[in-house]
Amino acid sequence: MSNTSHPQIDPRGPRFGAGITAVLLLVSIALSLSGLTTAGFIIFALVTLGFVWGTIAGIQRHPYGVIFKKFVRPRLAPPAEFEDAAPPTFAQGVGLFVTLIGVILFLAHVPLGLPIAAAAAFVAAFLNSVFGYCLGCQIYLLLVRARVLGRASTPAV
Amino acid sequence: MNPFVVTGLLIALVAFATALGFVYRSGNGRIRGADGRTIIRASDIPGIQLLGARATLLQFSTEVCAPCKPTRTLLGAIADESVDVQHIDVDLTHLPSVASRFNILQTPTTFILDGEGVVRARIGGAPRRADVREALDRILTLEPA
Repeated sequence: MSNTSHPQIDPRGPRFGAGITAVLLLVSIALSLSGLTTAGFIIFALVTLGFVWGTIAGIQRHPYGVIFKKFVRPRLAPPAEFEDAAPPTFAQGVGLFVTLIGVILFLAHVPLGLPIAAAAAFVAAFLNSVFGYCLGCQIYLLLVRARVLGRASTPAV
Repeated sequence: MNPFVVTGLLIALVAFATALGFVYRSGNGRIRGADGRTIIRASDIPGIQLLGARATLLQFSTEVCAPCKPTRTLLGAIADESVDVQHIDVDLTHLPSVASRFNILQTPTTFILDGEGVVRARIGGAPRRADVREALDRILTLEPA
């Protein structure tokens, strides 16, 4: 049963992907702090590219989602319910924003810029994966309140 | 950097994130009593015609809020159990002024209103059935059908 205007997904898929992201970010931090800054940056750049893909193509077409569908999901019972693809896709956008800052800081040679950005992105990915924390539930609303997103459809008179 | 220091930092980072997770989990969905002074009228929120005659379960959602759909289902079911109790779901995406006015910091946020529109309780995050039922019963016993 597909709903093309609001695609539905297995909610465990994005949490699986967030878990992979969290581990990769820890590896990136470890490499960067151990002096292997180029290797740390390469891993970090791969995570960033993942967020680019997830933000633009949507969470359903994310590579981790494909891995989940092919290898993990067949081993699990069917999900209790499905969820909208929109919230996890928004979370990809948040991840992209944070990791892009890390990339810029690294290229600008700001010391510890990348590990700090990676640590922030790790906390978000970890909370989402392990505790089911919904990034969109707070951040999107704060952006709406700041008038950055979802501008009022009726102009002020 | 010394590998032991690096390992220690990573462990500290994971521990910090875990602590945040438990803080989040313990506060999420907790029902809080309101000061009893905030009154909401249907005209305060664009698109709302009428509030419930005896009580209203007023939910605020956005489209990127994963727990909002199950909350909508739950609150709708609870409202159907009683006469003159309404469940209303407001999409805050294009209503930043409403979000600011009622100091809404996350979605879903649920206000439980009595028949006069007084906010009696607020719940940030996915509400628990027992909490909503209890708060609602307290309101309904003071306002018989």
